[in-house]
Amino acid sequence: MKFFRSVGEVFGYSPFQSLAQHARMCGRAVGLLQQQFEALRKENFDEVEELREEIDELEHHADQIKEEIRGNVTKSLMLPVDRHDLLEFLKVQDDIINNCEHVGHMVTFRKVKVPEDVWDEFSVLLSKLMEVVNHYEEMVESIRQLIETSFSKREVQRALEYVPVIEQLEHECDLIQIGLHAKLFNLEEANPLDVHLMVTWVAHLGYVANAAARASDRFRIMVLGR
Amino acid sequence: MVLDIFIVAAAVVGFYVAWNIGANDAANSMATSYGSRALTLKQIVVLASILEFCGAAFFGKKVTHTVAKGIVPIELLDHHLVVFGALAALLSAGFWITISTYYHLPISTTHSIVGAMLGFGLAAVSQNHLTLDQIKWNVLAKVVLSWIISPLLGAAIAFVVFMLIRFILLNRFASESIEHVFRYLQVLTASYMAFAHGSNDVANATGPIAAIMGYSGEVPFWVLFFGGLGIAIGIATWGYRVIETVGKQITELTYTRGFSAEFATATTVLAASSIGMPVSTTHTLVGSVIGVGLAGGLASVNLKIVQKIIFSWIVTVPVAAAMTISLYTLMVVFV
Repeated sequence: MKFFRSVGEVFGYSPFQSLAQHARMCGRAVGLLQQQFEALRKENFDEVEELREEIDELEHHADQIKEEIRGNVTKSLMLPVDRHDLLEFLKVQDDIINNCEHVGHMVTFRKVKVPEDVWDEFSVLLSKLMEVVNHYEEMVESIRQLIETSFSKREVQRALEYVPVIEQLEHECDLIQIGLHAKLFNLEEANPLDVHLMVTWVAHLGYVANAAARASDRFRIMVLGR
Repeated sequence: MVLDIFIVAAAVVGFYVAWNIGANDAANSMATSYGSRALTLKQIVVLASILEFCGAAFFGKKVTHTVAKGIVPIELLDHHLVVFGALAALLSAGFWITISTYYHLPISTTHSIVGAMLGFGLAAVSQNHLTLDQIKWNVLAKVVLSWIISPLLGAAIAFVVFMLIRFILLNRFASESIEHVFRYLQVLTASYMAFAHGSNDVANATGPIAAIMGYSGEVPFWVLFFGGLGIAIGIATWGYRVIETVGKQITELTYTRGFSAEFATATTVLAASSIGMPVSTTHTLVGSVIGVGLAGGLASVNLKIVQKIIFSWIVTVPVAAAMTISLYTLMVVFV
């Protein structure tokens, strides 16, 4: 079927579905990290390695989506949000999954010997992180409603209600991190290299939460800055 | 006897142009309803064929008159020259639309036929059958102006309509229930659109044929009937495929958006028909969709198409005119 002239060209590339997909991948990456820490605790190192690979692949796929969006959101597109705001939002959102990838690698560097209560703390931190990204995903998912209603006041309000919640959860992550750092530095028996590595894990898990909070802030700027 | 062959040829080519209008232009206008899934393909084909035909047969005479007699004063020419000229115009327009359709260019049939008729007039001038100031430049200027105004007016109406929907409805009620209501309203605008399109675009085929008939007063009904039939057959035999293909490209046009764009386009085109201005429905529709986008109704609008449309304006008129001049001259010299 070649013989036609189309009015369809007036509809340009829409980045919003891909944005939501990218956010879902960030959420999935944190879920994999959580599994990875569980495997680590059980000293199931084959699984740890498998999960690292899975996170790697996910990150790579997320990068492709990011490239697709960047390559298609050109100046000749008329979008309901500012183009620069959108790209900035994407950039920060991408930091979530990038940091997940870092942690995914760092846990394979060394087989650490850690007391059970430290593992407990890690699992609390990861649950909290999961909570952050779950809210984050829901927030980004709401962009579909926003577009459908042409950014009606009610939908904008509903979407932006997530932002303070995410920020609060990120703050709670901070507190857990501080406690964990204090605990790690006081492990008198532990190998200093183990401590050093775990401190780095904690810091990077913090970056994941941080990126989610910053991305939700960029999301708000994008939605309000129309 | 020889002249009769030319008249038959003009009828055949005219029918081809009408068929093409149905297969492509009408289908494009109706694809918005298919893209939003307001109607099924079968419903659209039936609805479009009937209403395009009605629009053409009962409302197409003013625009047909403009194309037939508005630009070239055919009453001042010998009948056989008019037959040559109209046939040359139909052939060039038909050829040009075929090429541009093959290459998927957003060319307007309207612009092709107006350019072609102008070419006929200029050829007659060059052979001293007319003087340059006998060509109705003021009508041509109005037509060109209507080409610029119609997409802008479409955009403005669509902008206002969608803004109203947005602030009165989308801000207050659940979007699902609004879309549900507009699903039915879009059936109305789709019909409105088909009627308006038929009333305007039929002239691209019937204008030259009416010129050959050399009528006085009103355009004969059977000419419009003939054009309307060609459009309806075009939709039924090929247009449905175009509706399907184009409809798949425009899925993001929900019922409220589709309603706004169709209402704006149909209103603009019907207004143009009532004052006898041949405008491009496709270009008006593009303007209307951009209007909905400007009102914040769409996830993404590709503004590059504006450049393409402007480019098509610049190219189509001279190309169609030049082709007509060549064909007409050949006919006059050899027949």
